[in-house]
Amino acid sequence: MVRPGELSVDSSTNHLRTPSRTVTLGRIQPQAPTYRTVYCNDRDSNYLVRLKCLHGNSISTTKYNVFTFLPKGLFEQFRRIANIYFLGISCLSMTPISPVNPITNVAPLSMVLLVSLIKEAFEDWKRFQNDMSINNSTVEVLQDQLWVPIPWRKLQVGDIIKIKKDGFFPADLLFLSSINPDGICYVETANLDGETNLKIRKALERTWDYLTPEKASEFNGEIQCEQPNNSLYTFTGNLIVEKQTLPLSPDQLLLRGCSLRNTEYIVGAVIFTGHETKVMMNAMNAPSKRSTLEKKLDKLIITIFCALVIMCLIGAIGCAIVTDRDHFYLGLHKKDCEYRNGLTYYLLVPQIAFFTFFTLVILFSTIIPISLYVSIEMIKFIQSTQFINRDLHMYHVETNTPASARTSNLNEELGQVEYIFSDKTGTHTRNLMEFFKCSIGGISYGCGITEIERGIAQRDGLKIHEEQRSTGAIREKGFNFDDPRLMRGGWRNEPNPNLCKEFFRCLAICHTVLPEGDESPEKIVYQAASPDEAALVTAAKNFGFFFYRRTPTMVSVRESHTEQMGKIQDVSYEILNVLEFNSTRKRQSVVCRYPDGRLVLYCKGADTVIFERLASGMDDVRKVTGEHLEHFGSSGLRTLCLAYKDLNPEAYDSWNERFIEAKSALRDREKKLDEVAELIEKDLILIGSTAIEDKLQEGVPTCIETLSRAGVKIWVLTGDKMETAINIAYACNLINNEMKQFIISSETNAIKEAEERGNQVEIERVIKEEVKKELKKSLEEAQQYLRTVGGPKLALVIDGKCLMYALDPALRITLLSLSLNCTSVVCCRVSPLQKAQVTSLVRKGAKKITLSIGDGANDVSMIQAAHVGVGISGMEGMQAVMASDFAIAQFRFLTDLLLVHGRWSYLRICKVVMYFFYKNLTFTLTQFWFTFRTGFSGQRFYDDWFQSLYNVFFTALPVIVLGLFEKDVSASLSKRYPELYREGIRNSFFKWRVVAVWASSAVYQSLVCYLFVTASAFDGKNSSGKTFGLWDVSTMVFTCLVIAVNLRILLMSNSITRWHHITVGGSILAWLVFAFVYCGIMTPRDRNENVYFVIYVLMSTFYFYFTLLLVPVVALLADFIYQGVERWFLPYDYQIVQEIHRHEPDSSNADQLEIANELTPEEARSYAISQLPREISKHTGFAFDSPGYESFFASQLGIYAPQKAWDVARRASMRSRPKAPKKN
Amino acid sequence: MSSNTPSSSAAAAAGSADPSAARRNSKRPKYSKFTQQELPACKPILTPGWVISTFLIISVIFIPLGVISLFASQDVVEIVDRYDTECIPPSDRANKVAYIQGAANKSCNRTLTVPKEMKQPIYVYYQLENFYQNHRRYVKSRSDSQLRSVKDENQIDACKPEDDFGGQPIVPCGLIAWSLFNDTYTLSRKNQPLAVNKKGIAWKSDKEHKFGKNVFPKNFQKGNITGGARLNPKIPLSEQEDLIVWMRTAALPTFRKLYGKIESDLHKGDTIEVNLQNNYNTYSFSGKKKLVLSTTSWLGGKNDFLGIAYLTVGGICFVLALAFTVMYLVKPRRLGDPTYLSWNRIPGGR
Repeated sequence: MVRPGELSVDSSTNHLRTPSRTVTLGRIQPQAPTYRTVYCNDRDSNYLVRLKCLHGNSISTTKYNVFTFLPKGLFEQFRRIANIYFLGISCLSMTPISPVNPITNVAPLSMVLLVSLIKEAFEDWKRFQNDMSINNSTVEVLQDQLWVPIPWRKLQVGDIIKIKKDGFFPADLLFLSSINPDGICYVETANLDGETNLKIRKALERTWDYLTPEKASEFNGEIQCEQPNNSLYTFTGNLIVEKQTLPLSPDQLLLRGCSLRNTEYIVGAVIFTGHETKVMMNAMNAPSKRSTLEKKLDKLIITIFCALVIMCLIGAIGCAIVTDRDHFYLGLHKKDCEYRNGLTYYLLVPQIAFFTFFTLVILFSTIIPISLYVSIEMIKFIQSTQFINRDLHMYHVETNTPASARTSNLNEELGQVEYIFSDKTGTHTRNLMEFFKCSIGGISYGCGITEIERGIAQRDGLKIHEEQRSTGAIREKGFNFDDPRLMRGGWRNEPNPNLCKEFFRCLAICHTVLPEGDESPEKIVYQAASPDEAALVTAAKNFGFFFYRRTPTMVSVRESHTEQMGKIQDVSYEILNVLEFNSTRKRQSVVCRYPDGRLVLYCKGADTVIFERLASGMDDVRKVTGEHLEHFGSSGLRTLCLAYKDLNPEAYDSWNERFIEAKSALRDREKKLDEVAELIEKDLILIGSTAIEDKLQEGVPTCIETLSRAGVKIWVLTGDKMETAINIAYACNLINNEMKQFIISSETNAIKEAEERGNQVEIERVIKEEVKKELKKSLEEAQQYLRTVGGPKLALVIDGKCLMYALDPALRITLLSLSLNCTSVVCCRVSPLQKAQVTSLVRKGAKKITLSIGDGANDVSMIQAAHVGVGISGMEGMQAVMASDFAIAQFRFLTDLLLVHGRWSYLRICKVVMYFFYKNLTFTLTQFWFTFRTGFSGQRFYDDWFQSLYNVFFTALPVIVLGLFEKDVSASLSKRYPELYREGIRNSFFKWRVVAVWASSAVYQSLVCYLFVTASAFDGKNSSGKTFGLWDVSTMVFTCLVIAVNLRILLMSNSITRWHHITVGGSILAWLVFAFVYCGIMTPRDRNENVYFVIYVLMSTFYFYFTLLLVPVVALLADFIYQGVERWFLPYDYQIVQEIHRHEPDSSNADQLEIANELTPEEARSYAISQLPREISKHTGFAFDSPGYESFFASQLGIYAPQKAWDVARRASMRSRPKAPKKN
Repeated sequence: MSSNTPSSSAAAAAGSADPSAARRNSKRPKYSKFTQQELPACKPILTPGWVISTFLIISVIFIPLGVISLFASQDVVEIVDRYDTECIPPSDRANKVAYIQGAANKSCNRTLTVPKEMKQPIYVYYQLENFYQNHRRYVKSRSDSQLRSVKDENQIDACKPEDDFGGQPIVPCGLIAWSLFNDTYTLSRKNQPLAVNKKGIAWKSDKEHKFGKNVFPKNFQKGNITGGARLNPKIPLSEQEDLIVWMRTAALPTFRKLYGKIESDLHKGDTIEVNLQNNYNTYSFSGKKKLVLSTTSWLGGKNDFLGIAYLTVGGICFVLALAFTVMYLVKPRRLGDPTYLSWNRIPGGR
């Protein structure tokens, strides 16, 4: 909106300003904080503006630069608690109380940090390259009366630039002139708000001429506008040209990120550059979500930490008790030694315990797996970039869209989803409207079976033959109609050809569609606010009424077959008025004048509103059409009624005056327009009705069925009417007739009565009461059903208005407990905000893992509210995708995403976490047991380097391989047995019970490794009687440990690839090689040569080999027995499935189930219709149900529609939506 | 904002615009076995057959190994004599520490009887118990570089409190060396001295690389208190094998260290007189001292543990194999029985 009052304007050019506030310094004005002045075509004068935006038009989305990388990157790393812990340990290990060389803790930490930093640097480098490619794309700028191409980054405020068709705006521009004579251009804003329809921008008339370089270089306007801000929909400013002040509005602003469409080229002046552009001001990093599993992992880590503290306490107490100064050889005796630094000497027992505690903390610090986080991150990163993004099963050929994991944090969350919140339009349905049937003058046309009917039939075990299309039937986007009675001019032989003609003209004229592209029927592309509209115009085209050109006042239609078969003529209709659509009117009308002067009003809208306004004497047609509408509605079609009325010129003129008056009204404009429209939209003549199929996405019903077998509950949250929603829910198999349905609707009599009385407070009270009553009743009933064994499944249908009250804190619990008992829930007529509220209700109230899936801007809040947000990509704009965590092209890919990738990820991450827990516990416990035999002195058992490399080298890779390749059953079996997914929902693999099993395994194995080796190491250990020392024994234990722990991976793997062998073998080999090298070298001064030659000494004894065979086998034996017994007596589901299919090769795609019965199309259709919910089939859902329609229409007319609820929600979501500048 | 580049945005927005700008660069992921997660893999299933045969295999391998090593251990003849209490005159047993720290003659005679034929070489060990050679303070109290080379003789940081004497570094420094074991044994059979060879008792690697040939003891045991044995300052460390053996610190508080070798056979029923100098103070911390004479087998000294462990594990595996077989026969579960699937067991379970 233009709010010039907010600006204070420069005095020398404007008389309206308050002179006292500005100091004039030549031409350059100091920049008041509230606005900026841009001098067009004058780079020098803009230096003040440029000072603020140092980088010009170049943008940088990198997190770091060369200098900040290290400090900032390290800071980021140390925000992780685990890293802080290890930093603390490392610092402690520098103190004299440390039992280990600092290297023991510093080396793994630096390794982990290094890996993380490299990853960060790599990602930042990619961002940087992206930025560079953006910054270096070229744009034509005006220099010395010539268009000179320069890179985007060199663009400066005030430059005049030229943008060609389909080009992107490099900065926020002031629209000066267009090649179009009326100074308009079309803009696509899909990147900003996801809307694919074209927006019109209109230059100020004063600047229309500045088009050629010669002329444009004369332009020296001065733009005074607001400071850069992030509001995409507002802009205020003034343009001062030759002492004339012209107000600017968002209409003249072309935003960076949008592209020019349908216009040869335009000229604009740069206002905001680089990071000051509105789109960049909106850029914000996505709030990163953490998976539930990771949060549970934190709990595990805390538990481990507690265990660590307990172990250290035990050690400290033990030390306090055991420490005995009589052990003179330890140099502790007072009398014996008066040494300066004998630290322990002066200490009392509690102090000894205190210091020992910290010594032991350092010693046992390995219990917390340092490389866990970085390993998991790596695994997830590969999982998402290599597996999810590249899965051919999730690649959609038609839209050329692969799946895309926009975050790698949530992979395993996908394996635990219990509730799916789904948008309907564009998610379940394709948002692809096809003209399917129609009814003209009481005759129904169009043969064909809707996907919904087919879907129902198929699920009931019937097969429908693909119907025979008459030869030459036209099938294109938006048109799926076949009836020889109407096609190819066949309508001329119908009983009522004139009515048919009106029908087609109404379709061709009464709309707000913009034609784009070549003016030929094959190549034209219709840009419409709602796909219904495009479908209708396409239908008209195929009937021979080809709408090909729109000017602000004219609509041109190429009509064929009107006078005689085959004849074509171009007719231009003058559009006199457009009575716009809005949700109260539910209709839209156009007043047009034929070339011959005939004045006609064409109207289309919902059946209810049209039927009310029909002229008298049309009861027959109305009745028949009504029946048709009902039939269409029950087949899942969206209907519209068409009507027309011939106008009397005098009556029209007088009406038009009132209309213009209303249009220019400043207050209540909309209301007045509605009233005026009401005057002319009466006594209509019914033409007929159209039926448009809202096509279901491919495979939606199957997908939903699979998911519900997997134990996932699907809620549909839609803005549609209740009837439409229920219909789709039936079609998708969310609801069926065996289910007990609870319907909580605001359309009850009691509420309607209250609404008619019109008292707001009263209405609220009544609805609240009603909702409360209904909820209570339903809940009681539901609980009754649940108590009976084998009772019906339950479904809940609730509309937005009731939901508003049901979400009230007082009723929330009831709603929650009711809805959690229901297998499916349908919420209709809900606002985006309510979608988010419902999602959080389940997320927070029921503590279940939720997933939201949607495709549009109105789903953003819901997507962000859920644990996992999934966006449908490839169809509409980017909004939902930008907010999402995963983007897939089709709803049906959810099966793959959840059942395959999610389940595997969950399984893998669980195993990886458990394994890390196990291997570090085992390692640390051997150390712990050893502590008991060293008088709790905190002597380390292992050499420093052995200990530091244990985690990052000797046991690092196999677990990553496990995290990448582990799969219990193949992908096709995962989908064939969706029930396997429930193991994830129940969190079977990450329970405390599982942790306990692993912990006992670790205790057992560490005891075996420690005791067996030490017990047998006593006494001379080779035939020459020489004995082993501490380091010989510890190296022995370490070797056994490395082997056992690495082999454990193979024991826990369900699928062993050659990478398992390579890494497991490699790790063991790496240890041996390291031991050979490390034990073989003497280094000057930097270490104690504790382990010098140890491995060779060991290997010279038979004892070594005997132990090496014995200890790992015994260590793993218990796990082996456990697994064998568990599998035998308490098998997991996946294990049974493995057994069932143990002889099948992996790639068998045996998941096609044959359908037994076959029906002819006719039978199928009647069967399908009979299956539809009869009692609620009265609905005749009308087609203008898509949001975005009103504002589109309004902007067409240069009117800014008042903000709608969804608009506000979207704006809200814009602020927090991720603009993470990731590119594919 | 992801879509500022013309190229990427064109593709991103292409869903609506014009399909004819046919994406020459298809985004179709390339097929690879890795990305499609179809790497060839073997899928082991722990079927009863596998479990039972694994157990059988283990028992088949382990039981013979156990028998072999047990035999090896049984072949070893070992004589153990605890002398820490016996070697203190009964009158002094009330205050052993005072006795051991006193100046009285510490020599003591022990008689050992050879229970079985002992083939040479017979190894002489001393065994200490409750002696924490693995204590943190103790283990780190040494300087490897000092032991190795003369020029590093001032590397005594780790050796506190036995690091220097009057500002001069002690070589070898540290508590380990300071507390060097100093009991001595003189063996004789039928009044004939039995030679105990003290050469070659240390690991060669220690002798050659860890202890320098030109490093000689300095200022050793000159402090107020003598911790243990003294060293001959004329002999380089690399030849001081007692020290080398001692400095390979033991893993556990009970340990044996090689004292020497007897290079002649002992016969069954031989009595061996041991004249020992009971110098070493284990009394202040009630540590036991034992003298051990032992032969070795190919596997090493007498230690039944390995053999017993092998036999036990092999036996357990055999029993388990039997148990699983019985279980398999008594309560068979058909492989891949769908009735075991949880959703089949609990009808209508959600």
